[in-house]
Amino acid sequence: MSAQHKMKDSIPLFVPHSFRTTESNKTGSWRFLRPRYDEKTAPCSAACPAGEDIGRIEMLTARGLFKEAWETILKENPLPAACGRVCLRPCEKECNRREFDEGIGIRTMERFLADTAARYELKPSLERLSSQNRKMAVVGAGPAGLAAAYFLTRLGYGCDVFESAPEPGGVLRYGIPAYRLPVGVLRAEIEQICGTGFNLYCQKPVTKAFLEEIQSEYDAVFLGCGRSRGVALHIAGEEAGGVEDGLQFLQKVNRGEAPSFFNAQVAVIGGGNTAVDAARTVLRLGGRPLLVYRRRREDMPAFEEEISMALEEGVQLLELWSPLRIEGKGGQYLLTLQQMKTVDTSPGERARVEPVNPQTTQELRVLHVIKAVGLEAAEEWQNPPVAQEGVLLLTNSVIVRGSPVLAYGGDLASRIKSVSHAVASGKEAAIALDILFHKGPDHVLPGLETCRVGNGSSLSMEVYMRGPRCARNRHVVTFSEINTDHFQFAPKVAQPRLLREERVSSFAEIDLRISAGLAMKEAERCFNCGLCNQCDNCRLYCPDLAVVRDNGSGGRSIDYDYCKGCGICVVECPRNAMSLEKEAPPQSRRDRREEKL
Amino acid sequence: MKRVLEGSHSVAEAVRLAKAEVIAAYPITPQTHIVERLSDFCADGSLNARYLRVESEHSAMAALIGASSAGVRTFTATSSQGLALMHEVLHWASGARLPIVLAEVNRALAPGWNIWTDQTDSLAQRDTGWIQLYCETGQEVLDTTLQAFRLAENVSLPVMVVLDAFYLSHTYEPVDVPDQEQVDRFLPPFTPRFMLDTERPCAFNQMAPPDVYMEMRRSIQEGMEEALGRFAEMEDEFKKIFGRSYGAVEPIACEDAEIILVTSGTMSSTCRQLVKELRSRGEKVGILKIKLFRPFPAESIRRRLKTARKAAVIDRNFSFGSGGIFAGEVKAALCDIPERPVVFSFIAGLGGRDVTVGDLENIYMQTKNHDVPQQESIWTGLRPASAPAPDLKR
Repeated sequence: MSAQHKMKDSIPLFVPHSFRTTESNKTGSWRFLRPRYDEKTAPCSAACPAGEDIGRIEMLTARGLFKEAWETILKENPLPAACGRVCLRPCEKECNRREFDEGIGIRTMERFLADTAARYELKPSLERLSSQNRKMAVVGAGPAGLAAAYFLTRLGYGCDVFESAPEPGGVLRYGIPAYRLPVGVLRAEIEQICGTGFNLYCQKPVTKAFLEEIQSEYDAVFLGCGRSRGVALHIAGEEAGGVEDGLQFLQKVNRGEAPSFFNAQVAVIGGGNTAVDAARTVLRLGGRPLLVYRRRREDMPAFEEEISMALEEGVQLLELWSPLRIEGKGGQYLLTLQQMKTVDTSPGERARVEPVNPQTTQELRVLHVIKAVGLEAAEEWQNPPVAQEGVLLLTNSVIVRGSPVLAYGGDLASRIKSVSHAVASGKEAAIALDILFHKGPDHVLPGLETCRVGNGSSLSMEVYMRGPRCARNRHVVTFSEINTDHFQFAPKVAQPRLLREERVSSFAEIDLRISAGLAMKEAERCFNCGLCNQCDNCRLYCPDLAVVRDNGSGGRSIDYDYCKGCGICVVECPRNAMSLEKEAPPQSRRDRREEKL
Repeated sequence: MKRVLEGSHSVAEAVRLAKAEVIAAYPITPQTHIVERLSDFCADGSLNARYLRVESEHSAMAALIGASSAGVRTFTATSSQGLALMHEVLHWASGARLPIVLAEVNRALAPGWNIWTDQTDSLAQRDTGWIQLYCETGQEVLDTTLQAFRLAENVSLPVMVVLDAFYLSHTYEPVDVPDQEQVDRFLPPFTPRFMLDTERPCAFNQMAPPDVYMEMRRSIQEGMEEALGRFAEMEDEFKKIFGRSYGAVEPIACEDAEIILVTSGTMSSTCRQLVKELRSRGEKVGILKIKLFRPFPAESIRRRLKTARKAAVIDRNFSFGSGGIFAGEVKAALCDIPERPVVFSFIAGLGGRDVTVGDLENIYMQTKNHDVPQQESIWTGLRPASAPAPDLKR
């Protein structure tokens, strides 16, 4: 084991020295804790209604693998160009990086990937199951219907989509103004989805009679009719000619029939997204919009960002005033408003209001009135049934067993009415129908449970189709589980926007493109919570060289012959993609081996 | 080329000229200027070395042990608590026969917290198997650092170049900085006698059971013994190229001296002044400056001291429960010869307290006026118990 160095200059040198390998010393036998690769769930993906694998999307983006990143979105959401613009971003509210410096601009990244795919006319290569001997009808080509058709097609079903409007898209096409979602972007995205292989029939209004007529042709019908009728104000003068419905007003503008307001004062009644969109649209058409809302600004159901941009652009807001009556007078309207006060302001909930006492009113003279105080189904049969025998009430959809099976989705079946919830609804219905047809009704709920993302309600199609994401642990990674020693502070890439002055004078999209360089920089900030991005820390920090890298696949494994179970790899994993657990006692280890044999 | 250099920068210049390949260091006053200047050299490209920032002195030495085992020239610098923290790995470096060079700036150990000069930190490492060279001037610091690399690589042992805090480390002096060409002639690239080699994988320094351990220790001592002669040969070579040499010990006016002051470090310079003055008054006094402390040049010391009547060893250090460390070593070297001087041991200047010509004259007079020392070690310049202590609360 030792070697005396015979030296050129005769100075004695006796250094312990061995050429024998130490591999015979299997230090793995000392182990009582066992590390293993254990990918977990990022909080953003658990919060995403569509269950997108966001940590992985950012990882691929950071490496410049834009097509792969885009395809990773498409596994769970067919509408990244639309969602990348109008999603409420529940994911960003859960980002662990917010506790470090600033959260990741996830929506900005999604939009970047969708735009990049569109620009280079990329075609996704996604898994599609072999065709099933069943046919599905989808009523309504809004986000829910399109998602349902997309996922059902990928599960192998033949699909026919019926849409009453001249163009598909539903609320995306006719409800959301172009400055938030340009029509060209939407058309390209829908064209891309149609490439999955379903049939789309536009200007095909579905009536109750038509529904009965097609019953025998389809095994299931997905109903994503959406809310297309404005809720009434129930005040005097509401029916007077010229009082316009908010959604119909937006639809008219989106069809290209924009009126001009020439500096006219326009009252918009309501506090939801439709009201805010209508007010901002009025502004762009030259009018002076005034939002009249019966509660306070913080109670408005519209997205906070949209409200603040509206106010910044010059929309006026009148809080705690409720309309009493509308009178048409010589081409003008006299609006009588009643002052309200809050009576119950529990935090986290909309305040309850009632008229002040004694009654205080004011009169408002305006040239136009737009009401947008809520939406409902255009026809009663479009609403899902209440709980009863044969009805499965799911998170974002309702399944009614029968022949054909009816699946209600979209805004009429979801508690939260957003585009990403509509996508979630289409996906949930598609999976539920597939389970129902293959395994029977009793398996629907347990089957859905197996493809949940983390602890939330969102579902993963990739998990349902037994993709690699199946192996993911459902544990949602917390900030305290991130080893921030391996991250540096980095400023968030700000979403570039049109200037206020540019915004108010046109319907040009407000949010601007970001460059590929900026997108990669932003994606690189992502902690990739719970996911291995092959940073190699486990291998570099292992004192026993017991982490082995497979140069072919780039993956890593642990050589348990030498792993002493010190746990350094688990601690130094920046993103909690490893776990350390108690080693099974030797006795049961032998049992396990025997079991295997 | 003559330049006005801070002592710390003299070390750095020497390391640059020696073309060290790996430097690992952790900052500590009064050493920091050395590694600061070296990191500048690495940054501006005048030194092509890998500079490792580490989390402690222990890690600094551990990193150099790895680097040196891979066959490259290595350097670090430290002081006081930093050197104490390195202690465990100092043994490792010498046992593994790695020619690491360390600049150690003498600083007092805490508590009380004190950044000023005191040799106890380096002398506390005397049994670690490191060669120790003590310096007196800025020029000697530069020259000794160059010499250290050659000596270390020649005998496969690590070398500590020791210099006084502030009196040397932070004092500017004119220093002749040699040409690269001259240095290259004196110090060729390091050719390791053994090294880690991926072509032929091996392990160093594994388990050494009782049947080999003693021989290994003996081999280190043989290296140390050999280093005495090698030091002299190396200095001859150095003198040929640079025209300067220092000697393991330097006798000053010792030939006819009745009393010889034994010193080390910057205090030697103050002694030179005193001796000049005393000689002019007809006093037969000399100085023996000890540069090489490990290996201890006992034979040279015996030869220089045996003709004197008395030797006064002045220690800027103390071994608790014993005495001045140089004095103890000198006494041990002398005890076996029949004709030997009486050895007086003085303790002076601990924690950076100034040792003036007057203080040294006092030491000389005490030695002259007594036939035998009154105590084992005489502490000089202590404030009388009755004198008020300075305000420490500030």
